[in-house]
Amino acid sequence: MSLVEQVVDQLKARGGKPGEFKEMVSVTVDKETLVDSVEAAKNAGFAMISDIFGIDYLEYPGHQGKRFTVAYNLYSFEKNERIFIRVNLEDGETLPTITHLWKGANFMEREVYDMFGVQFEGHPDLRKLITPEDLDGHPHRKDFPLGETPTLFNDGRFLDPAAFRAGMTGESGGLTGFTGGARKGVRSEQGREIISHETTGEGGQT
Amino acid sequence: MTMNANVGAMPQATTKEGEGPFETKYMRVNVGPQHPSTHGVLRLVVDLDGERIARIIPQIGYLHTGFEKTMENRTYQQGVTYSNRMDYLHGFGHDLAYCLSAEKLIDAQVPVRAQRIRVILTELNRIASHLVFFGTGLLDMGALTPFFYTMREREDILDIFEMVCGVRMNYGYFRVGGLSRDIPEGFEGAVRSFLASFPAMLDQYSTLFENNDIFVNRTKGIGIITKEQAIDYGLTGSSLRASGVGLDYRKAQPYSGYEDYDFGVPVYPTGDVRSRFWIRFDEMKESMKIIRQALNRLEPGPVKDPDRRISLPPRSELENSMEAVIFHFKLVTEGFHPPRGEVYVPTESARGELGYYLVSDGGSMPYRVKVRVPSLINLQSLEPSCIGGLFADMVANIASFDPVMGDVDK
Repeated sequence: MSLVEQVVDQLKARGGKPGEFKEMVSVTVDKETLVDSVEAAKNAGFAMISDIFGIDYLEYPGHQGKRFTVAYNLYSFEKNERIFIRVNLEDGETLPTITHLWKGANFMEREVYDMFGVQFEGHPDLRKLITPEDLDGHPHRKDFPLGETPTLFNDGRFLDPAAFRAGMTGESGGLTGFTGGARKGVRSEQGREIISHETTGEGGQT
Repeated sequence: MTMNANVGAMPQATTKEGEGPFETKYMRVNVGPQHPSTHGVLRLVVDLDGERIARIIPQIGYLHTGFEKTMENRTYQQGVTYSNRMDYLHGFGHDLAYCLSAEKLIDAQVPVRAQRIRVILTELNRIASHLVFFGTGLLDMGALTPFFYTMREREDILDIFEMVCGVRMNYGYFRVGGLSRDIPEGFEGAVRSFLASFPAMLDQYSTLFENNDIFVNRTKGIGIITKEQAIDYGLTGSSLRASGVGLDYRKAQPYSGYEDYDFGVPVYPTGDVRSRFWIRFDEMKESMKIIRQALNRLEPGPVKDPDRRISLPPRSELENSMEAVIFHFKLVTEGFHPPRGEVYVPTESARGELGYYLVSDGGSMPYRVKVRVPSLINLQSLEPSCIGGLFADMVANIASFDPVMGDVDK
C-alpha cells in the first residue's frame, strides 16, 4: 500500500473526496478539516510543502460548486510520492494558515492572497507578494480585466497605456482604442480589502 | 511599488537598558533594489543589531510581468514564447518543464531524438547558468577575475544555442510534442569540442579560488542551513542537496529519458555557503557526463510527434495534400484542444524544483497556468541562513542561493 493510498484513506475518514487524473492524486477536503488533514499528511510522510496555489473556476465551463480552489502540493522524500490536497471556497471566505507546519508556506500563502484575495487567518505577515501594493484587486481572478485598460491606483495615480504610447510616438491610441472607464480591481465585499498601508517611516521617503 | 513598503514594526533589540555596555537599537537598512550585487532587482529590508542581522525581509515583485496570466490567454503552442523568459539563465529548463506538462495533458509522444536533444540543450544551459552563478557569485565577494573566465566559457555555450535556434537567450526552440526543427549540421562537433575543452577550464577555476584564503574564510561555515531547516523552508535544488537531502527529480521522477543516463547526484552534508558553491561545481561535471552520453546515443529520426493534431505538417506536404493544409490551418489559427484535466510535472531546473501546473478546460488555451518557480520559494531560506550572521556575509548568502529575479517575480 503506497503512502498516497494510506493518506487518502486517512483523509477519507475526515470527509475528504479523492480524485485522480493521470496518476496525480488529489483529495478535496473541507475548510474546517484543512489544517488537520494537511498535518495528518505531513505526519504520515509528506515532509515537504512544494507549493500552494489558487485556481479561479469562475469561467470554467460547466463548473459546479464553489468558485475558488486552493491546492496544497505535498511531496514525500522517502516514498517519492506526491499528493494534492484541495479545498474549495467562495469569494470572501477565509482559510486557516499552515505556516506553523512549514515556514516555507509563508510566501506561498502570500502569493495566493495577492493573486486571488484569499485571506489566511493566523498568517504572521499577510501582505501582497508580487504585485505593487497600490494596485487595487487580485490579478489572477478571472474577472480581472485584461489588456491595455487604463488603471486607477489607490493613491490616485492614473495610467492610460494607449494614451501614453500615443504621447510618446505621436500616433493614434493604438489598436486597443479602449474607450471605457478606468479599471478598478475587483474587491471582495467581506474581509479586509487590502492590508493597511501604515507607513513605518523606515526604508525610504514617500 | 512605493518605497515605503509596509514591512512591519521594528523588533525590540536584544540588549535592554542596563544589561549591556550600551543601550542598542536596531538599525533598519535598505539594500537594493538596484545594487549590482543583488542579482537583479531584489530589495531587502534588513534590521541590524550592530553588525549582526536580526531580521531580513525580501521585498520582491519589481520584475513581475504577469506571465501566468498571459499564458492563460495564448494557445498551448505559444506558451513556449513566455516560459523561457522567466528564468533567463536557464530558459531551456523552463521550456522543458512547460512542454512536459502540456505533453502529459494531450498524451503527446515525443520522439527519442527530440528527447536526447532536449536533454543536451537543457544540460548545456545548466552549465551556462552555473557559470553565471560562479562568475557573479564570486564577483559579489569581491573576486573580479573569475567573472571573465566563466563568461568566456559561457560564450561557447551560447554560440551553440545561437547555432541551434538563432538567439542567445529566450530560445523558444522546444515545442509541445518535440522541437521546432532539427539541429543544424555541425552541432555535434561544436558540443564535442566544448566538452573537450571544458574540463581544463574547470581545473582553472578550482586553482583560482579553491584554496584561496579569502574565498574559504568568506564561505566556510557561513550561512549554515540544516537539513530540517531546508525542508521546513521548502528549499529545493542544489541548495537543498548542499544541506544533505539528495532530492533530484532527474533521478527521483525521471522525465525526458533521464533514466537512460548514468550520472551522480552530489550531496554535501554541511549546508554552508561553501558547499552551495562546490555542489554546483560538481553538478557541472555530472551535466557533462549526461551530455556526452546523450550525444553518443543521438540517432537520426523525427524530432516532432507525428500526430497531425499536435505538430505542424512538413512544408513539402502542403503543396500536394489538402489534409495537410487543413491541419496546418487548424493548428495555426486555433491550436489543439487537450481534454479537460489538471497536470503537474516536476523537473529539476538549475535552481530547484520547477513545474507547470496546467488546468485545461478543453479549450485551445490553458485555463490556468501556475508555475512553481524555485527561486521564489528558495528566497525564503535567506531567513535561516542570514539571521544571526554578519551583514557582510549577507551578499555571499544571496549569491549562494542563485536567485534569478525573473524567476522570482514571474
